[in-house]
Amino acid sequence: MIVAQQKPVEEIRQLIGPYKRLLLLGCGTCVTVCGAGGEREVSLLHDALRVAQARSGDGTHSFLEYTVKRQCDFEFLELLADKVREVDAVLSLGCGIGVQVVAERFPDIPVLPGVNTSFMGMAKEWGVWDERCAACGDCRLAETAGICPITRCTKGILNGPCAGTKNGKCEANKDNDCAWILIYKRLERLQQLEKMRRYYPPRNFRVIPRPRRIVKKADVKVGEDNG
Amino acid sequence: MYRVMENYQLNRTKEASYGHSIIPPCQAACPLHMEIGEYVDLVAQGKVMEALQVIRDGNPFPSICAYVCTHPCEDACRRRQVDEPVAIRALKRFAVEFGGDRMIELEAETTRNEKVAVVGSGPAGLACAYYLRKLGYPVTIFEAYSEPGGMLRVGIPQYRLPREVVDIEVQRLIHMGVEIKTNTRVISLDLLFDMGYKAIFITVGAHQSLRIGIEGEDSPGVIDGATFLREVNLGLKPSLGEKVGVVGGGNVAIDAARAAVRLGATKVTILYRRSRAEMPASSTEIEQALEEGVDIMFLVAPAKVRRENGRLNVACIKMELGQPDAGGRRRPVPIEGSQFNMEFDTLITAIGQAPQLSDDFRLRIGRGSTIQVDPITLTTNRQGVFAGGDAVTGPATVTQALASGRQAAFRIDDYLHHRYPLARTEPEKSPLGELSLKTIEMIRKIERLEPPLLAPQARVKEFKTVELIYDWQSAVSEARRCLRCGMGAEIVFQDKCATCLTCLRVCPYHVPYLDDSGIIQIPAEQCQACGICVAECPAKAIVLRKPYDRRHIDEELEHALKSASESKSKPLIIGFCCQYGLFGTGTLASLWREGKAGIWIVPILCVAKLEEGHILRAFEMGAEGVFIAGCGEQCSRENTAFWVLQRVERVRKTLAQIGLEPKRLQTFNLRTAEADAAEALDNFTEQIGGLYLDSIIKQEVRT
Repeated sequence: MIVAQQKPVEEIRQLIGPYKRLLLLGCGTCVTVCGAGGEREVSLLHDALRVAQARSGDGTHSFLEYTVKRQCDFEFLELLADKVREVDAVLSLGCGIGVQVVAERFPDIPVLPGVNTSFMGMAKEWGVWDERCAACGDCRLAETAGICPITRCTKGILNGPCAGTKNGKCEANKDNDCAWILIYKRLERLQQLEKMRRYYPPRNFRVIPRPRRIVKKADVKVGEDNG
Repeated sequence: MYRVMENYQLNRTKEASYGHSIIPPCQAACPLHMEIGEYVDLVAQGKVMEALQVIRDGNPFPSICAYVCTHPCEDACRRRQVDEPVAIRALKRFAVEFGGDRMIELEAETTRNEKVAVVGSGPAGLACAYYLRKLGYPVTIFEAYSEPGGMLRVGIPQYRLPREVVDIEVQRLIHMGVEIKTNTRVISLDLLFDMGYKAIFITVGAHQSLRIGIEGEDSPGVIDGATFLREVNLGLKPSLGEKVGVVGGGNVAIDAARAAVRLGATKVTILYRRSRAEMPASSTEIEQALEEGVDIMFLVAPAKVRRENGRLNVACIKMELGQPDAGGRRRPVPIEGSQFNMEFDTLITAIGQAPQLSDDFRLRIGRGSTIQVDPITLTTNRQGVFAGGDAVTGPATVTQALASGRQAAFRIDDYLHHRYPLARTEPEKSPLGELSLKTIEMIRKIERLEPPLLAPQARVKEFKTVELIYDWQSAVSEARRCLRCGMGAEIVFQDKCATCLTCLRVCPYHVPYLDDSGIIQIPAEQCQACGICVAECPAKAIVLRKPYDRRHIDEELEHALKSASESKSKPLIIGFCCQYGLFGTGTLASLWREGKAGIWIVPILCVAKLEEGHILRAFEMGAEGVFIAGCGEQCSRENTAFWVLQRVERVRKTLAQIGLEPKRLQTFNLRTAEADAAEALDNFTEQIGGLYLDSIIKQEVRT
């Protein structure tokens, strides 16, 4: 799941400064789950913006609020066409993908980000989210016992642990578990400790060609000798 | 400022079309299907007048039920699974007394010209007359005895139901225009039809005691329970002698024994042929009789009565329990050769009663001499003649009689309108199952508070009411034990639910769960309606079933802000306060008086239902400061304070981001009558006053 965090209200106020009528647009999927931009957060942001406006005496914005099921697919955005016509800008509380899809669907209107898209992760417990995947495009979790050293090791090293591990914690942040100690313990448990003895050559992440695209559909032509 | 509420309204319409509350078990068990959860909750809020209103809507004579109802609701109460049921009847009595039931006057207009006759003025007859008057019919009640009330007057002893209570209800009926003819025994129904009555309701009760069928039963000194209680209740003082025996194990036997104690008998013994477990009398009554010195001999039956030298020599036989009979109770079997003798001055037989009907009524009679009726329409074999109460059911409870009277009134109305009755054929059933062990474990145990009783020594001398009334604090505390069955949370917008698991993680009772298809379920029978998941759901997909729970904070806030805008006092401070612990117990009233001008209280039904949006709205509408006061440790729900503090921290963060001091939002944990509560509030007011002045100065500097 994508995890995001709402921008501070003062930053949002600066972003919306030039626009009079705004659509506060929530997303009903990842940002709802991580409590950054679901229907409740849209409504609370709306309340907060109105408090700020009422208390500071400046700003005469008016707001519409709406939450779609998923901002990252055009089809869900069709519902917005009428609403978008009524406003000067859209403040999207969706992740960075949502903001861009909305912008692409409605080319004539500014779309502003209301959240900072942070990482891909999981809810550790209620109210706590942890990063788990860097989307490196070359998954090696089978070799590291299901624990990703790229995201969970501060240094992202592929042959750990380094000398900075102490009592199972990381030297860079004593609250963080050392990912390589976790990997070692889990491999031991799985009786696969031999995987620790192998050397993994370093990877060059700079060669990832962006933007990436995945094409699942096959390139077929109908009507030429195949029915 | 324009705010398009489209989304909001869309949600509301969806919500409105959603059928809310589930019938709680107490309501399903009540013969009158009273809204028990509703009035218990109102008592918990300290709103006795409103509670009484709800009670009166569902019950024609709440003051009578408040004394004598056998409270099947309490037997059904699911709190029993946790500790003990909520003391519903005693709470009703509290609402009736403190809500000013005596002061209520009722009027009814005659809008129909068909006269209806009610034969018998017991609870069923009175209830039928009450509802017929409300429907606009002229009603006449015919009563054979000198006083109206039926069993309420001649059956139930005064120490359980004071006569004034019956008198007040009868007077109220007379005020509504009901004509009551006492000392008038109806001998023929044809005569009533000839007199112009278009419909007749027969509710003559079951006043005829059953005979035991033993030798010597007619000897002087043997009296049947119904006759004995009637004599006592009509003011005669039958002389009983020293030693009194009572045969039977029902409420009439207990009533007769306790009345005998009050008439001066020194030794009262109840002979019952089964054991305590099979005794049909209510357990409270049995307890109180034992406290008053009544002796109960179990597994004993009289076999023969002989009168010798002015005393009764009763041959008794010991019994043992055999196979269960058709009713499921084990049948008593005499033990051979276990005869023994007992001596009494008086023997009261109370083994059951049946209706006594004139043959001239020409009504079809069924089992136990009761009148046969259609269970839905209450019609008898004769056209225009309806029957109900004990005369149909055999001896039953007052509440059942009231329900039957009410049913009769509506069926008579249908009949006189030539309407097919639209009555439900199925009795109402609560769809709520049992609480699970897992939920029970998480529910806070709170001891049941019983209303005080008169000391046994004081009781036995006279016929004074045994049970006293709760004080305010006890009533509120007792009412707060209600588990609010059927009012729980529901994921009403499944399409919005992102299955984020927030509800599952925040529920203090571990109620929500993921089903096999990966959908979150909140089982209605386990939910405790605390409201935490509703406020925390990031998708706003959950609502509480009771509509009032969904909107009361909005309404109260709007009301407070409106009143505040009419007043000039500044600075404006909004206080969200727990209605239960603070208003309910009266603490808040004093707080309000002591607080400085400019404080406006928004009473809320538990702080756990307060959402961040409510707090922000108060600030938006000009509040300089906001405080939240919960009831502290009195809270009957779990974790409420934790969740309020979570929300307060989040709002404080937002306030800081928009340039408002976070200290403008404070929480107080107010408990009953704590002196420093007022002081803490004063400090807060002063602080806000300072901030307010600062902001005025800043504004002036700016301009």
